[in-house]
Amino acid sequence: MARVYNWQLGREMSYWYPESRPQRQFAAVFDTNKCIACQTCTLACKTTWTSGKGQEYMLWNNVETKPYGSYPLAYDLKLLDMLNGQSWAGNKYEGQTIFESAPAGERVLGWRPEEQDYAYPNVGEDDCANQVDGGAFLNLPHMNWFFYLARICNHCTYPACLASCPRGSIYKRPEDGIVLVDQGRCRGYQECVRGCPYKKVFFNPMTGTSEKCIACFPKIEQGIQPQCFVNCIGKIRLAGYLSRPDQVREDNPLDYLVHVKKIALPLFPQFGLEPNVYYIPPIHAPVSFNQQLFGPGAGDAMKAYRNAGNDPDLASLLCLFGSTEMMVSRFRRTGDVISGSDDKGAEVVRVPMREPVYIRPAIDTKNQLVRINCP
Amino acid sequence: MRYAGISVAILLMSAGCGKSPKQVTEVVAVERAALPSNPTDAAWDEAPEHQAKLLPQDQVEPRVLTPTTGEVRVRALTNGSEVAFRLEWMDDSKSDKPGPAMMIDACAIQIPARMEKDLPEPQMGQDGKPVQVTYWRADWQAAVDGRGDTIRDLYPNASIDHYPQEAKPLAPGSDAQKEMALRYSPARALGNIRGGPRAAPVEDLVANGPGTLSPGPSLGAKGKGAHQKDHWSVVISRKLPEGLSPNQRTHIAFAVWQGSQRESGARKMRTGWITLSRRSGS
Repeated sequence: MARVYNWQLGREMSYWYPESRPQRQFAAVFDTNKCIACQTCTLACKTTWTSGKGQEYMLWNNVETKPYGSYPLAYDLKLLDMLNGQSWAGNKYEGQTIFESAPAGERVLGWRPEEQDYAYPNVGEDDCANQVDGGAFLNLPHMNWFFYLARICNHCTYPACLASCPRGSIYKRPEDGIVLVDQGRCRGYQECVRGCPYKKVFFNPMTGTSEKCIACFPKIEQGIQPQCFVNCIGKIRLAGYLSRPDQVREDNPLDYLVHVKKIALPLFPQFGLEPNVYYIPPIHAPVSFNQQLFGPGAGDAMKAYRNAGNDPDLASLLCLFGSTEMMVSRFRRTGDVISGSDDKGAEVVRVPMREPVYIRPAIDTKNQLVRINCP
Repeated sequence: MRYAGISVAILLMSAGCGKSPKQVTEVVAVERAALPSNPTDAAWDEAPEHQAKLLPQDQVEPRVLTPTTGEVRVRALTNGSEVAFRLEWMDDSKSDKPGPAMMIDACAIQIPARMEKDLPEPQMGQDGKPVQVTYWRADWQAAVDGRGDTIRDLYPNASIDHYPQEAKPLAPGSDAQKEMALRYSPARALGNIRGGPRAAPVEDLVANGPGTLSPGPSLGAKGKGAHQKDHWSVVISRKLPEGLSPNQRTHIAFAVWQGSQRESGARKMRTGWITLSRRSGS
C-alpha cells in the first residue's frame, strides 16, 4: 500500500494506490436542516438513470431517516461495529481506516449486503430517536429528534470501490474526480460493492455488472448541476468543485463552506475515503451523534450554522442553494444580494438574502370580504 | 493378514470402478472421431481421469486463505481439430442465480497462448506471455437452458413500477424500443460480453497477468454443465491449442469457483500448470 495524505483525518494514511488528485474535484454540500425527505431527488435519479431491467432495487440517491434509517440495511452500523470503536485526538484521527484495518488477503475492510438488506429502503422512516409518550404535545426545543440524510456516491478522493476492484474497472476522472465503473470492462465480481462503506455501488443481476452514481457527468460537463440537485424541493444541495485545503479560494462557494467556515463536513470521515459530499449537520440532533457521523468538527459547525443570521456572507451563500441549475464557481455578496458566476466569470444567478414580504389586510374593504388564506 | 485385507479392498475398489480407465498424472486428450457435448455421455469413459488438486488463489488480493473445493477431476478428448474437457468437482449447492452477494458456480481452463520454452506464470499468465482462458458459468448455463431474461425469472415476486422501454408509444420489438432498453443497460450498450443476454454458457478470454482478463479471439468455445445432487459436471471444448498436435504436449491449468463459498473473480481455487498431452484412442 502507498502512503497518501487525507486532510479530513489530519494525517497520512495507507491506500492501495499512490496519491493522485484530479485537476479539480466534483463536490457537494447538503444542508440536512432543510431536507424534508420528499424523495424527489430519489425519483429524479431513478427516472433518469436506473429505470432499466436489473436496476429495480437500485437507489443511487436515497434519503434515510437518522438515527434508525439506512439503505442498505445497517450499512453504517455494520462497518462501525467492524471498526470496533476508534478515536480522534482533536482534529487528528487516531484510529484505523478501512484500508489500514483490511484483514490479511483483503484490500479493504468490507462486507457484502445480502439480498434482503436491500428490501427495506424506508426502514426507520420518520422514527424519533426515543419514544414519544402518549399525551405528548409539541414543545420547543423538541423533546425528541430525528433528521433526514440524503445520500449519493461521495466520489471519494480515495475510493474504496476503486481500490477493491482487482481488474481496475473503476476509475476516477482526472478532469473532475467523478468516480465511474467502466461498464465495458466490469465483470461483476462485486468487490466494489463489498468495499464501498457507503454501499453506493449496486450489482445489476441482469447485466452482471456493478453500477453506481455517475454524478450526472453529461450535465456536469456542461456546467449544470446533477438531477438530484436541481430537482430538490427543499433546496438543500449545492454542487461545485472543492479545492485542496492549501489552495482554498474564498469566493468558491464550496471552499467557503467546507474550508473557510468549516460548516459542511464529510460523512464518516473515519472510514478514510476523503468523501466529497459535505453535510451541514442537523442542529437539533445531539452533538455526539453528529460527531460520529461527521467527525470532530460537528459541534463548531452546528454553532456556525446557528449563528448564520449574524454572518451575512454565510447567510447569503446559503441562499444560493437551489437558486440556479448552473454550477456556481464564484460568489459575491453586495449588500443584501448575492450573485454567482460560472467558470468564465459570467453571472448565472442573483438572489436577495430576504425575499420581499407583502402583507394583505384580512379585510378586503373594497369588496367588503374577509380574505381566507388558501394555498 | 493385514496385507490380505488391503488386497481385498483394492480388488473391491477395482470391481466398483470397472468402467473407469486408470488415473493419470497428466491430462491426456484421447483421440476420438466425435466429441461429446454432454457431460454424461458414455464417451468420456474412453479417457483417463486426472485428479487435479486445487490450491487457494493466494497470489494477489483478494486472496483465498481458507481452501474450499479440494480437487477437480478432468477427462479430455480430441478429434484433431478441437479438444474437449470434462471437469467435475464436488459442490452440493447449485448457485446459478445472480444477485447482490450471490456468487455463481463456475470453472475455467487456461492454456498458454503460444508454445514457448518458458511457460507463462500459472496465475493468469504474464506481460508478453498471454494465456487463453475458456470460462463457463452456471447462470449462463441456466440462461441457455431456458431461463428468461427478466427480473421475474430471477425474483418471481419482484415489484416493477415502470420500464421506459415498455411505455407507449414504443412498439414492442421495434428498434426504438431496443434503443431505449439499451439506454438503461450500459454494459449491454457497450458490448460487454458479460452483459448478456447469453447465447452460450462459455466465453473465450485472454489474459496477460492478474486483472487483465479480457475478451479474446474466438476459439470456438462451447460448453455444457449439469449439476447432479452433490457435484458439477461440465464440458468445455475449444479449438485445438498450439502444442497439441500429435506427439506434442502443452500445459493446462484449471480453476473452480463455488458460489456458495462467495467465490468470484480472484477468489477461486486453482491449479498450477499440468502437462496436457495427446494419444490415439484404442
